[in-house]
Order: sequence, then C-alpha cells, then structure tokens
Amino acid sequence: MLEYDSAKRPPPAIDEFFQLIRYRDLIFLMVESILKNRYKRSVLGVFWMLLNPLLQTIVLSVAFGTMFKSSIPSYAVYLLTGLLAWNFITQTTQYAMNSMAYGGGLLKRVYIPRATYIIAAVGNGLVNLVVSVGALLVIIIFLHHEITWAWLFLPVSIVILAIFSLGLALFLSTASVFFTDTVDIYQVLIQALFFLTPIMYPPSILPPELNQLLALNPFVILIEVFRIPIHANHLPDFSLVVNAASLALITLVAGWVLFTSKADQLAYRL
Amino acid sequence: MENTAIQLNDVTVRFRIPHEKIPTLQEYAIRWLKRRSVSFSDFNALNNVSFSIKQGATVGIIGANGAGKSTLLKVISRVIRPTYGRVFLRGRIAPLLELGAGFDYEMTGRENIFLNGAVLGFNRKDIASRLDRIVEFSGISEFIDAPIRTYSSGMVARLGFAVATDVQPDILVIDEILSVGDVEFQKKSAQRILQYSNNGSTILVVSHNPSAIKQLCNDVIWLQHGLIKMRGSVDDIINYYSS
Ligand SMILES: Nc1ncnc2c1ncn2[C@@H]1O[C@H](COP(=O)(O)OP(=O)(O)OP(=O)(O)O)[C@@H](O)[C@H]1O
Ligand SMILES: [Mg+2]
Repeated sequence: MLEYDSAKRPPPAIDEFFQLIRYRDLIFLMVESILKNRYKRSVLGVFWMLLNPLLQTIVLSVAFGTMFKSSIPSYAVYLLTGLLAWNFITQTTQYAMNSMAYGGGLLKRVYIPRATYIIAAVGNGLVNLVVSVGALLVIIIFLHHEITWAWLFLPVSIVILAIFSLGLALFLSTASVFFTDTVDIYQVLIQALFFLTPIMYPPSILPPELNQLLALNPFVILIEVFRIPIHANHLPDFSLVVNAASLALITLVAGWVLFTSKADQLAYRL
Repeated sequence: MENTAIQLNDVTVRFRIPHEKIPTLQEYAIRWLKRRSVSFSDFNALNNVSFSIKQGATVGIIGANGAGKSTLLKVISRVIRPTYGRVFLRGRIAPLLELGAGFDYEMTGRENIFLNGAVLGFNRKDIASRLDRIVEFSGISEFIDAPIRTYSSGMVARLGFAVATDVQPDILVIDEILSVGDVEFQKKSAQRILQYSNNGSTILVVSHNPSAIKQLCNDVIWLQHGLIKMRGSVDDIINYYSS
C-alpha cells in the first residue's frame, strides 16, 4: 500500500526528480495548454511569435547592415540566429519566473512537484524555438544563404541552450519567490547584457580589453554554439562545445540543488 | 498500528511573517547597508499537534476561523511539509481542499478533466478510460466542450468534485466543500462520500456546519489556535464548542 512519511524522504534533489517523472503527463498537458492558449485565440499566433525577431532583424539590418557588411557576411543570418538563441534563453527564463510568481498559487493548494511550472516553461520555449528554426530555414533559403550538413549539429546546440535555460530558470525562480523584485532586476540586467553580447555586432569591433571581458559573459559561447552551424556553415570547435555544455550542466546542477533545497518553503511563501 | 491511516507526531507548521511590506532584494540591500536586519515574527499555525486516525474512520474537524484547520489538511495532503514533527499516511489520498485546483479557464471542460486529473497524479490514459463516467457524474455533459470560463461557479465545482472523487481513495480529505453545487448535487456528492466511507475509506472533514459534521462523523477534533483543544464523540464536542 502507498505510504507517505514526511520523516523518511530521499534527499530533495532526488525526490523531486522522481516526482517529476511520476507527474510527466501533467508537464505535457501544461505545455499543451500554454501553446493552445497562445495559438487558439488567433490563427496568426505562430506568425506573431515569429514576427518579433523578424522585425528586430529587419530594423537592425537596415540600421547596422552596411556598417558590418565587411566584417560579417550575411549579416541578416548572423543577427537572426543570434536573436533566436538570445530570445530563447531570456524569454524562457522570464516566462518560468512569471509563471512561478503568478501561477504558482497552485503549489499552495495541491501537491504537485515544485518544478513542474519551470519544466513546462522550458518545454514551451523549446517548442517555440523549433518552430522558429523552421521559419529561419525558410528565410535562409530565401536569402540564398548556404545550408550545409552542419545544420545537423543544431539539436545538440538546442539541448545545450535548453539545459542552461532550465538551470538559470530554477535559480531565478527560487530567487523570485524570496525577493519579489527579482523579475524587475533581471529585466534590467538582460537589457544591459543584450548590448554586451555580440548579437547584432561582431566581437571584433570591441576594443581588446572589452573583448577579454566577453569571456566572462556566459551568453557568448551559448549563442556561438547555436549560430556557427547556421551562419558559418561548419561545426563549432570541439572546445567551444565542451565549454558550452559544461556551462549548461553546471548551471543546471547548481540551479537544481538550490531550487529543490528551497522547494519546501515555496508553498509557505508564494 | 497496522490499521492506522493517518498519524501525526508533534506536528508544527510555522509561518514566517515579515513585519515590513513585501520582501524585495532592494529592501534587503537597504537594510544591509543600514546594518539593520529584516524583522519578522514566527507564527505557528499548528503547534505540536499529535493524533492518529484509524482506517475506515470518519473524523470531523471544527474550530474558529484561523484555528489551523486548513493548514492541518494541507500538511496531511503534502501541500506543505511540517516544520517539525512527522506526518504519516497509509494509502492513496484524495484531497478536496479547493475544487478544480489547476483548472485553466480558457480550456474546455473536457481538457480540464485531463489537466486536473494530472494535477491529482493520474496519467492521461487512466483519465481517458474514465472520462465518460466523470462527465456523467458531473452532470454537465452538454457544456463539456465549452471553455470553463463560461461555467457557473457551481458547475466548476461539480467538475472538480467529479474528477477528484472518481476513483475511491483510501483517504479522503474535505475542506468545507460540502456546500457547493445545488441541492441535487449536494445530495449526490454526500452519497458518494458516504458510499466510500462504507467501503472503508478514511475520511477527514472540515466544516463550520454542525449538522453536516453530525451527519458524517462520530469522532471530532476541535482545534483552537493551532492546538487540539478537545477530541471526542461528536455530540460532546459540538456541545462544548457551541457553548
Ligand atoms: N501562507 C501563510 N502565511 C502566513 N500565515 C498563514 C499562511 N497560511 C495560513 N496562515 C495563518 O495560519 C492560521 C491558520 O490558517 P488556516 O487557513 O489553517 O485556518 P482555518 O482554521 O482553516 O480557518 P477558516 O475557518 O477561516 O478556514 C491563520 O491565522 C492564518 O493567518
Ligand atoms: Mg480553512
């Protein structure tokens, strides 16, 4: 017979993992419901989602295209791939934080694994990213940019991005429950970081001192790992992949341990 | 001890109530700069509560607003973990704390049955196989494919009750939801609870309605300020409580 003993429990980091597996159907249904809510209301839902980075690309291409023409071939592709990776990470983490802060009331009313919302947010982000990559393919064909076998590396890049985003989302969601202004602070940080990350410009335009600082910006290698196979048409360097994957895994493990160790307090605090 | 369904040993649930407004990082930073710590007070919603309930028993819980009744049911339903002490349960628990927790009001009744079922820990296949029965019990089959934002509150509650109680649980925990729905549905839901009770489910009911408690339980626990004030037969406790 099923038993629950609050005094006998595996360590939270392990317990939460197995609970999530038990509740996997809930995660799928939540992702489904997020997607349905977004797309059901307007048939143009997908279009709107794609329109945003597309408009950004057009505006920025017009503004900076000529400036970087010599240093970046196919500027539009460079920009668009950078934006997709950037938007995936930032939007997913923000969405996770918000759904924890505003939708997390459910955690106070019934038992579900505490990370359910966060995993669902990343799942939702992944679906959107895959749809965007499909649209990107169409645009790239339209722009006559070369498409090579390097594209087959993309699933690995996407998994790395997703692992990193999940880790960061776990960290931020924990913080946002304890400090309600985390959402605002993160928003500001992201805006600043956008300009400190080579998304719309090549790293080469930075003065050498700043260029060294880029090594401290974790977003740089994550974006590179996604951008190189599409824009530069070759596989990313092995060392770059190892660095990006390690960064992602370390972030996930740290975020997971932090989140699960605080998870019991969430129902008290939300 | 073989036939214990629910057991609490010295369970304390402590809420930390900050004295200042909302906790923000900014606030903490300012305080840290001023070398002042953030002040808060601890409040025990449950204070060293111990009791056990035998399998198959139906126990009522009464007490004033804020006495800790809902907190007690939450700690039993695993929604919150005890700050101190131990909660032990034997069997599958069906919590009826708030009906339709996890309902998505943009989605249809049918979709919400799956969603709410998953929230309660059932998998999709399982729900699919019981869907017709759930819809029938809820009595809103005509509207099952309409978004539930178009439902009345009673209809939402019916649906929530139908999902949560479709399979007989070993332990059923009920927080003041006996009065939802119209007379017909109240009868129907009371009948289902009674049937589960007769079939051996352990039932824990919180209600402010003495006649509902009298109808269902023999054994009553009276909570006051997070402590068990008294436990005993329904007539005794209700007498003391109302005087
Ligand atoms: N999340 C929380 N944070 C701080 N205090 C809380 C929280 N939840 C409950 N409390 C406090 O715990 C006490 C018990 O609350 P509880 O909801 O268990 O009361 P109750 O007996 O169910 O009351 P009612 O009859 O009104 O439903 C109350 O004083 C309440 O203020
Ligand atoms: Mg209550």
